[in-house]
Amino acid sequence: MPTVTIDGRLVEVPAGTNLVDAAARVGVQIPHYCYHPRLSVVGQCRMCMVEIEGMPKLQAACSTSVVKDGMVVRSSSPAASEAQRAIMEFLLINHPLDCPICDQAGECGLQDYSFKHGQEFSRFRFEEKRTYPEKERIPLGPTVLLNMNRCIQCTRCVRFTQEISKTGELGFFERGARAEIGTFPGKPLDNPLSTCVVDICPVGALTSTRFRFTERVWYLDKKPSICTGCDVGCNITLEHRQGAIKRYKPRFNPDVNDYWMCDHGRSTHERYATVPRLTAPRLRRDGELRSSGWKEALDVLFQAIRTRRADGATAFLGSGFLSTEEAFLFAKLAELVESPHRSVWVDSGPARAIPNVRGGITGHDAAPNRRGAELAGLLPRPDGVDAERLLVEGGSASCAALFVADSDFGRAAYDPRIVERLRGAKFLAVMGWADSPLAQVADVALPAATHAEREGTFVNVDGRLQRFERSFPPPSQTRPAIEILADLLARIDPKWGAVRAATTFDLMAEEVSALRGLRWANIPAGGIALPAPRREGGA
Amino acid sequence: MAVERVLTRNVGRAGSRTVKVYRESGGYEALAKALRLQPEEVVEEVKKSALRGRGGAGFPCGLKWSFVPRGTDKPKYIVCNADESEPGTFKDRLLMEHDPQQLIEGCVIAGWAVGANTTYIYIRGEYRFAARVLEEAIREAYDHGILGDSVLGSGFRHDVYVHRGAGAYICGEETGMLESLEGKRGQPRVKPPFPAVVGAFGCPTVINNVETLCCVPHIVLRGADWFRSIGPDERNTGPKLYAISGHVERPGTYEYPIGVTFQELLDGCGGMYKGRRLKAFIPGGASAPMLRAEDREIRMDFDTLAKAGSMLGSAAVIVMDETTCVVRAALRLAKFFAHESCGQCTPCREGTNWMELILHRIESGHGTEADLDLLARVVPNVGGISLCALGDAAQGPVRSLIEKFGDEIRDNLRAGRYPLPRVPYFDLGAVA
Repeated sequence: MPTVTIDGRLVEVPAGTNLVDAAARVGVQIPHYCYHPRLSVVGQCRMCMVEIEGMPKLQAACSTSVVKDGMVVRSSSPAASEAQRAIMEFLLINHPLDCPICDQAGECGLQDYSFKHGQEFSRFRFEEKRTYPEKERIPLGPTVLLNMNRCIQCTRCVRFTQEISKTGELGFFERGARAEIGTFPGKPLDNPLSTCVVDICPVGALTSTRFRFTERVWYLDKKPSICTGCDVGCNITLEHRQGAIKRYKPRFNPDVNDYWMCDHGRSTHERYATVPRLTAPRLRRDGELRSSGWKEALDVLFQAIRTRRADGATAFLGSGFLSTEEAFLFAKLAELVESPHRSVWVDSGPARAIPNVRGGITGHDAAPNRRGAELAGLLPRPDGVDAERLLVEGGSASCAALFVADSDFGRAAYDPRIVERLRGAKFLAVMGWADSPLAQVADVALPAATHAEREGTFVNVDGRLQRFERSFPPPSQTRPAIEILADLLARIDPKWGAVRAATTFDLMAEEVSALRGLRWANIPAGGIALPAPRREGGA
Repeated sequence: MAVERVLTRNVGRAGSRTVKVYRESGGYEALAKALRLQPEEVVEEVKKSALRGRGGAGFPCGLKWSFVPRGTDKPKYIVCNADESEPGTFKDRLLMEHDPQQLIEGCVIAGWAVGANTTYIYIRGEYRFAARVLEEAIREAYDHGILGDSVLGSGFRHDVYVHRGAGAYICGEETGMLESLEGKRGQPRVKPPFPAVVGAFGCPTVINNVETLCCVPHIVLRGADWFRSIGPDERNTGPKLYAISGHVERPGTYEYPIGVTFQELLDGCGGMYKGRRLKAFIPGGASAPMLRAEDREIRMDFDTLAKAGSMLGSAAVIVMDETTCVVRAALRLAKFFAHESCGQCTPCREGTNWMELILHRIESGHGTEADLDLLARVVPNVGGISLCALGDAAQGPVRSLIEKFGDEIRDNLRAGRYPLPRVPYFDLGAVA
């Protein structure tokens, strides 16, 4: 591999690597706008001009590949810095500088590079700025708004629709200083990945219809998480302000979602704001629902499920929204009360395809973790009743007790007929964050944390185990499901009392062959592909 | 000055567009000779002739041909750049309208030399007449077995197509032309890869100017040594067309050995219009920095002009007399470049526009010396870092304006003389 010197630092890179990427490897950030690692190189913003020894003119780093040993590159020499300053000046002379009302402010490429490479005064003082009248807020489609005045014509969005979403809705029109981005007549920007153009827009030209004006970005706390929209398990940055989730943005993971995520996934957090929330444990006493303390509620639940009863079975219905650890404890609970009736219900969703460099990944479930839940043991044992029978065939009527873990487990929790069918169980316990119709008819309803309020792992459609972090604490009366289940288990064996996600995972890894050798602390940031995922094996 | 007309020898002859008349003056003998040679020998001969590209950049033609990889499975293409849109340039038009067979012969020889079976003649959309002439000439060439499956019975296949542009200067830039040829938005590509390796439709492509290709048959027929004997030195050889416009008595296209002096050109076209005094001239089309009257003895070849800070470019000579407001002239050019910038890269998109605005302010009488200083600082940033040569081209005239006429403009600014009076080029009263 050839070795190059970039700003005095030696770096060895595969031949053909461009200088922006090569520099990044040794921590040198060469400023750029139009370059994106997954888009074709067009070299048109000219921000990445660098000096290369032996070349008379400055070169664009993005379109210069390392081909042989000994290249000496300077990205901050006087000549290169002057070019970068000049480009900043050119980009800003016609820019509206409307940062105070611009949604991008705070995460804007123009602001950042202006600070780093630009100048603090304008020499464009007498002329009127070029504007695009009537093009300050044109909806390009249902998800994206365009403000042409702010555009710096980097064409990342155009190339995205041509090369990644392969839908080609956007084009580059007109020329010179009047050049503009737009859609073709009658063809709005409408594809499952459309909001990605907002992410890759380095300025405030493209903003998300969904997010714009909901929050100034510097107030947002950002935490790494996993999208729960389907079983692709897109890596996301969860951005919230004091526990109110404002948006999901894709977090780079070349093995899963690369730099992208779908519009559906981005919208999933809106459920947390729209669906009513279970805020405290609730107990039915003498036919009346009342708030209760945690101990009381768990005692009642435990009494109902602890032993085989003459009047019917005890069934455990889990969901694809449980973390692998929660599913493991849920299954463990079933095991300890000797119930073979454990299953997972997952709605099937439309196919959600996310492109990546390995040809893409497609999710089919409407929940993130069916595979993890099954892996953790949420599969019917011999003679066990499966979810299908409980929900569709009314098998729950024969249950003495039914424990549903996740009140928001699917559309069924909102379907009055199915809710009634599940209510057929003599005792119904529901745990989850949502105060769904199902939770409202339960004898015991236990408020659990959302996925943003807890930690755990999901196993995606490819059998990749990924960890997600807690972004913020759950509300006061609400507890992570793992603690609730640990409390219940501790009533059988006190050793379970102290387990949390990390300890559960490590215990689980000893029991589940697919996880053998893994430790919570060692799960890589990008997740890990499990050996030969077991798929519906025990069913 | 008595000069042998080489490229324009058929201009003015009756039926000069036909194969018959072209053959009478030795046409297609070069092609026959080339087909008897090995392709490499043809490339060698052209290399030896030191023929440099007549489109503007002056790149050695034989060298360009030799960059085309041999032994590749991909088809190769010749693209003839007939998108003659540099302001002031109209030399290729003469060649195409009067002697299209000469161009066709050049295309086929180039095809033979590099192993290309197809030529696209990319002609600017405004050249409707020239395009029609070419189409007719091509049809006739097919009828005579000069084009088609077996060129002159040699078994070598060569087809020529005319592709009309849609009116964008930037499509004269070679990669912008390829994009346009492929049916895409005409905007330059990032180089490398160069077209000789990845050109039209991803295949090796040679792009030559009309005049360059027209030189080729003469080199093949009369030899590289003959070609080299024309011109002042080893690096500037052959006959050259000069398109002269502006304040001269008889504007037009003139053929001279390359390296003729500007004064000789001027004398050849009847001198300055109405005997007025020369103020400035642009030696090589709109992109070429202006020169002053003192430079009138300069030799009009690639290297001499480059040394003087300008360029031969397309050899479009624009002559300006003492009545000219040089700021207005530069503004006109700046306007052109701002209008024709493709908008892709930042320095060109924003810089050409900004230069136009500043020049406009000075020209219209609202400027100050500070504007001239600002202009001087903005101009260098437009060239040098742009994606293609348009940025460099756009800053040439403005840079030379400041360098060559800075003092004069300052004087005028201080004295508040702008806008200078407009002197009509034609005496309209006399016409009426």
